[in-house]
Amino acid sequence: MGSMEAEVHVLEAEIAALKLLWEELLAPAKLSAPVQKSFPEICQSDPKEWKSSKDLRSNLGHLESELLFLSTLTDINIISYSKKTKNLTSTEMTEKSIKKVLQRHKLSGNCHMITFQVEFQILEVQNQENLSSVITDLNIIMEPTAYSELSEFVSRAEERRDLFMFFRSLHFFVEWCEYRKRTFKHFKEKYPEAVHLLEGASSSYMGIQSTSQPGFELVIVWRIQVDEEGKVLPKLDLLTKVPQQALELDKKGVIETAPLSFRTLLGVLGIEVAVESLIRLLCIEENH
Amino acid sequence: MDLANTSSQEGEPKGGVLAHLERLEARSRKKFEEPQGTPAAESALRSKILQLRRLRDQLRAAVERHGARVEASAEPDQALQDSEQALERKREDVKAILQAYRFTGLSGKLTSRGVCVCIQTAFQGNLLDSYFVDLVIQKPLRIHHHSVPVFIPLEEIAAKSLQTDLRHFLFSLCEHLNAYAGRKYQADRLQSDFAAFLAGPLQRNALCNLLSFTYKAEPGGQAFPFCARLLYKDLTVTLPTDVSVTYEGTDTPSPSWEEQRASHEHLLRTKPLHHVFAAFARGEERLELRLAY
Repeated sequence: MGSMEAEVHVLEAEIAALKLLWEELLAPAKLSAPVQKSFPEICQSDPKEWKSSKDLRSNLGHLESELLFLSTLTDINIISYSKKTKNLTSTEMTEKSIKKVLQRHKLSGNCHMITFQVEFQILEVQNQENLSSVITDLNIIMEPTAYSELSEFVSRAEERRDLFMFFRSLHFFVEWCEYRKRTFKHFKEKYPEAVHLLEGASSSYMGIQSTSQPGFELVIVWRIQVDEEGKVLPKLDLLTKVPQQALELDKKGVIETAPLSFRTLLGVLGIEVAVESLIRLLCIEENH
Repeated sequence: MDLANTSSQEGEPKGGVLAHLERLEARSRKKFEEPQGTPAAESALRSKILQLRRLRDQLRAAVERHGARVEASAEPDQALQDSEQALERKREDVKAILQAYRFTGLSGKLTSRGVCVCIQTAFQGNLLDSYFVDLVIQKPLRIHHHSVPVFIPLEEIAAKSLQTDLRHFLFSLCEHLNAYAGRKYQADRLQSDFAAFLAGPLQRNALCNLLSFTYKAEPGGQAFPFCARLLYKDLTVTLPTDVSVTYEGTDTPSPSWEEQRASHEHLLRTKPLHHVFAAFARGEERLELRLAY
């Protein structure tokens, strides 16, 4: 009997202990609750798009492919972006239902080999009739590149606060650079003896040397210019290097007028054909 | 014996208590096997013990279930949560960058058929209208819908590069739309901000690449002696390619009139329209003239 009563006591004690343990187990859950809460809160901010981790993953996958598509489409690769907004609406403005917001944006990325960091402010003013957004300050930082033509254009874009012009011209500039590089490479491969790329295919110079007449050399200077309106245009010039002796024999002044003739040729034939005709001119001479 | 104290003294409340519970249970089983007293009291006690045991078992099961969950969630759950938070953060970053593309002037969204490209326009820091081109990505590439105004030579631009170089096509269209938006913005600003300088409404075509207006250059003047005709031959520019200013006054033009006329032509060719009139309004015409030459 005593032993049974003893067991009842023990069981009661055991139950009490288990209850205590149960309470202890619940306590840390209560403590960590706010931490756990923050996550569902984020998820709930976009309930349609987020249901589970799997959905989140597939949504992220979709966005990433969209990003890849956009960077391919524009050739502009944005790596980081941040935005800060400041409400400048005063109580007086609120009464007139005018909203004034200053946004500060910062983005960095690259367009092929050219990296950039762009910082700008947008002042948004909303009144009853319309919304006006104006870029009030534009700062473009570019890593120094071999493309000196760009620095002048960048300061003009900053001065005019023309962000879109900057990206548009940058795109066309890079497009021309790539075209120039391809063209130079093509001629180097086609006429390895005559064509010389002393500073590589990316430079703006291409030399054409006559192998049979070592003193004769033509240099194509292909610059890519960005004009006032941000339009990108190629500018090609021809430099000649001819021995003094040959110059004296040149009664018609062919060499002297060559740069001008080259311009005419460009206008008529286009860049590739005009340059090729110059190379062949020297090659044919070699064959004689 | 105070069990609560025992458990806390052991330093490991969870493990300690459970171990203690096991010891107690083993002890109670031993006691149950020992000889008992009167049958009635014995059976009452026995049923109470059974009841208590059931309660204890239930409690223990509950504790164990919870304990297992806590232990399991301590590591993997935390990692899962971290990775989900990391995913979420990454998703927000990607979303922000996608939005940032509108500042390049060219952004877009993937559709089930292809892509819907948005072209944003601006003139010197003033953000203006945006247009969309909904493209069906298939061979050949097709424009499904678009909001490009009819007078923009979209077909011509498309014929040049849509099939061969989509990127070039979009940037060319960007150029056209931005130039149009820029010309329209200048004409609108002239009309809205400097109406007092104009003899009547400004005449323009839909593309805003041909503008004509009769104007004066002095804020106080009564007559409107000049007539300007601005032509933008290149549809991708915002400054006129041809400018002609004629003297419309009744008096015989004096040499100073001719000088003014020539300076206006130069100003209109090199500066945005509303900037020229802002200079007139400030009475800076002469100064600008000196700066211009």
